[in-house]
Amino acid sequence: MSAPSVSEPAAVAARGGILDRESALAKMMIAPAILYIVAMIGVPFVLAVLYSLSDATTGDPSLKFVGLRNFAAALADPVFRLSLWNTVFFTLASQCIVVLLSRLLATALLKNFRGKWLVRFLIMLPWTAPISLGTIGWLWMLDSIFSPIDWVLRYVGLLGVPGALLGAGTNLYYLGVPGLAISSIILVDVWRILPLATVIQLAGLSSIPKDLMEAAEVDGATPWRRTLMITIPLTLPITSIAFLFGVVFTFTDLVVVYVLTRGGPVHMTQVLSSWTFFKGIEGGDLAQGAAISLFMFPVLAAVAILILRMARRTEVV
Amino acid sequence: MAKRSLLTRRDFIKAAGIGAVTMGVAPTIFLPRQAHGASKELKILVWSHFVPRFDKEWYDGYVQKWGQANGVKVTVDHINLAEIPSRTAAEISAGQGHDLIEWIAPPSQFEPSVLDLGDVVKDAERRYGKQHPLCRASSYNPNTKKFYSFCPGWTIDPGCYRKSLWEKAGKGNGPETWEDLITYGGKIKRDQGIQLGIGLSQELDSNMAARGLLWSFDTSIQDKKENVVLNNPKTIEAVGYMARLFKEAMVPEVFAWTAVSNNQALIAGRASYILNSISAYRSAQQQVPEIAKDIFFTPALKGPRGTRFNSEHVIYCYVVPKYSKNVDSAKKFLLDLVGNYDQAMHKSELYNSPAFFHTPIPSGDRGYPAVKGAKKLIDLHNAWFSDDPFALPGEAKGKLAVLKDAEKWSANLGYPGPANPAEGEVFATFVLPNMMANAARGMAPGMAVEQATLLTRTIFAKWRKKGLVGGKV
Repeated sequence: MSAPSVSEPAAVAARGGILDRESALAKMMIAPAILYIVAMIGVPFVLAVLYSLSDATTGDPSLKFVGLRNFAAALADPVFRLSLWNTVFFTLASQCIVVLLSRLLATALLKNFRGKWLVRFLIMLPWTAPISLGTIGWLWMLDSIFSPIDWVLRYVGLLGVPGALLGAGTNLYYLGVPGLAISSIILVDVWRILPLATVIQLAGLSSIPKDLMEAAEVDGATPWRRTLMITIPLTLPITSIAFLFGVVFTFTDLVVVYVLTRGGPVHMTQVLSSWTFFKGIEGGDLAQGAAISLFMFPVLAAVAILILRMARRTEVV
Repeated sequence: MAKRSLLTRRDFIKAAGIGAVTMGVAPTIFLPRQAHGASKELKILVWSHFVPRFDKEWYDGYVQKWGQANGVKVTVDHINLAEIPSRTAAEISAGQGHDLIEWIAPPSQFEPSVLDLGDVVKDAERRYGKQHPLCRASSYNPNTKKFYSFCPGWTIDPGCYRKSLWEKAGKGNGPETWEDLITYGGKIKRDQGIQLGIGLSQELDSNMAARGLLWSFDTSIQDKKENVVLNNPKTIEAVGYMARLFKEAMVPEVFAWTAVSNNQALIAGRASYILNSISAYRSAQQQVPEIAKDIFFTPALKGPRGTRFNSEHVIYCYVVPKYSKNVDSAKKFLLDLVGNYDQAMHKSELYNSPAFFHTPIPSGDRGYPAVKGAKKLIDLHNAWFSDDPFALPGEAKGKLAVLKDAEKWSANLGYPGPANPAEGEVFATFVLPNMMANAARGMAPGMAVEQATLLTRTIFAKWRKKGLVGGKV
């Protein structure tokens, strides 16, 4: 009896085993990424949950469970409540400004003009520099003594002379006056996220079919109407993604507040991530720090789900 | 026939797999043999000293020489002082890392995970005499009777003032009392446009200044037995004083103060008085000699009843984590460090002061001009502060002489009680500077004290439950 004939690829598959089975190979190839996510995100997250339910300290990380005591203590702490409010406020305020500015920049960058590459380069620059380095630069810009902004204001007579618009003092003390310190944090958050949002918006605007705009133009739609009826609806999913990415980055950011104000003056710029660090690491109360950090989780989880939904909608578009 | 590619997917995956396995396994095959072949090891983690030449010209070289003399392979890693807490926490949590970790504040919260160094202290006192009380109080927990760290030295925190400005205001020898800061500091601000620089911010120096003020007003966070005693009329008096001081002699820059702000302000000629170690003056000597020549020093300022205390500026505390496998080498290193602290004092340009003042000076060339008649560190301390070996040519003599008796007016974090984790958390979460800042920004002093007391009591109660803090309230 002759052996059944087998086609060549099937024979190779049979010989090769796992390496030639598409489904197994796909799992094998994706495994390092999954392992990485589990090790770098999953394990610390589970650890944070365990710590938050314990009385662990930096000096004694053993777990003795105390239930929800740390969450109750956090909620009773006025600094925590202020940090929570600041985190939400800084995030929403900065990202609203980012969406607006990035749309303007993206629209401008769609046009052809001389020196466009330089403008693009300058816009992208904050994104290429390490956040801490850029923020240290801002720390000097906003310094109480050496601020170059104050120097310019003094030079043009807006500051430092009797009757000057911004006062007779030599400096404005950007990081020492609550209102100015809050504005400074928002400003640096905007500066940091704007490049990413601009690129995302640019991609969204570029993807609008030209014939659609031309048809609207032929039908007599004004630029304003075209923006309202075509551009905004079609780019809404991708604009939302830019907004939500910005929310994630800003909501979890420690560097800007830590470098600029360390949460001061008098906790007026304290945010959840910085308060987690001061309480949990510098103060030694690891469990309390973990509990504070977990208050960020519901917001971040909701944002992540929204991003995934938006991304799917963008695919349809 | 289709052209066969040079590298099939199968070949690629095999090659990548073999490569990864080789990379992973190779170190376990080769490195242990090398490690086993080496003699004893010691890994040390220390801060990057404020005086750069201390590390470059002395500490790193000293450590290597010590290693050679004792047959120990020593590795020293320097990190920024801000990274010490997180790095220590990470190493303790991982159960591996350095054998010796140097802190510049009392690391009392790490007590459960570090070795009791009581035997090292005992041995050091037998060889070198009594340890300074503020160093002992920064490394010993009287509740558990454990030395959670070993303190070989500390840094003085005097007041630094610009003589020319104070002379014009009619107080040429600088302030003597806290009230002088308002009277003459206020006058300097009004007449000469130069403010005082005492931080009211969420950082180190502001924390120290707030403590010094409370102690000088005969009050504190805790008493000797670690009971919280913050809310009392003397604290309210001190906080009310700070609000007046801010109004009369300072500007809002102090709410944004950082650890380098007082140095910068003094060097830039924008501060008439600051509370800082002599590092600000040393920086000025290099960067702006004319300003340096105008900088003079005061001891802790007297409060309304004559009491005066400043906080230590830096307290050097070494811990040996329980995971360390080189405990004997670590302990020997610490003992020998005390024996060579004369060099630490000199190479830090007098920034470091010894914890064991009666340590004999080793014989031979010590790397600095010999001081006639000096036999112990206390002799060097007195001689160098009387006649600063690092003074600039033409600079006034004896500027640092007021620092000679600094041990009498310097106190530890937690004074009059010991340093403890609760005091540490109160420090790390800026309770005192914010109490002062709240009053300076217009809150009633009583309310500011009440708020701070509430936070402090919560923190103390928490650590008390862990058995690391004494007291009842």
